Amino acid sequence: MNERELIIKAQSGDFDSFNRLITDNKDKIYRLALKLSGNRDDAADIMQETFLKAVDNIDKFRLESSFGTWLYSIALNTFRSRLDDNKKMPLKTIEEYLPTGHDHASSKLLDWGNPHDLYEQKQLKDIIESYLDEMPHKYSLPFILRYMEDLPVKEVASLLSLSVAAAKSRILRARLALRERLTEKFREKTSGSL
Amino acid sequence: MEACSKYIQNIADYIDGEIDSVLCSQLEEHLKSCENCRIMVDTLKQTVYLCREGKKEKLPTEIENRLNDAIKKRWEKKFGKK
Repeated sequence: MNERELIIKAQSGDFDSFNRLITDNKDKIYRLALKLSGNRDDAADIMQETFLKAVDNIDKFRLESSFGTWLYSIALNTFRSRLDDNKKMPLKTIEEYLPTGHDHASSKLLDWGNPHDLYEQKQLKDIIESYLDEMPHKYSLPFILRYMEDLPVKEVASLLSLSVAAAKSRILRARLALRERLTEKFREKTSGSL
Repeated sequence: MEACSKYIQNIADYIDGEIDSVLCSQLEEHLKSCENCRIMVDTLKQTVYLCREGKKEKLPTEIENRLNDAIKKRWEKKFGKK
């Protein structure tokens, strides 16, 4: 039975069909919730709320997207309803993150080399998670969906109700901000070890 | 200076392989002579690699069991017991 048939059966009250639809998505939604919230307790809450809302609204699902994308949108809305972006670090404009040109004598960028020579993988993961957590969600959400969930830019834009251009711009700013923070961290480590 | 800002705006598309071929060859030519832009491309690529690293977390069994119970109850409330 394909996804469409399963959805139609689930909409008429067939629990086994619904179960088959969510089985493959449980890990995905949990991982997304974990990246969004940064901790297991909140991730479990967001995930449970997501699937319960899916039960409540299964009959309203119009099959205009894949079932997985629909679940993503419920998870994102659930997460966003809990947000407080006021305490987050503001991001700079794209231009402010960029090198200033060929005259680099006084502003040469740090070549990272191999970051694993500086930090273990687990440490790097924790550093990245803390930086993403400090970032306003309007930037971290598109970045996570694009590069950590591997969604195409179009789908990211659609899930977040953004134009493709706005989604691209936010993803790039998040990426530049993250690159800059990591560079500072690596610079500290290399200068400290000299 | 102008060249850098012109190309670097397209760096994300370049890294993600979504840039048109003419701009791509111009950018690659630029990278040969501009160390900062080369470092920028390299470190932006690494930023994403580092984010993607690590084991994919699995849903813990205890949380999954709790979730399954909650879903079942909510389903029966909506559609009635089988």
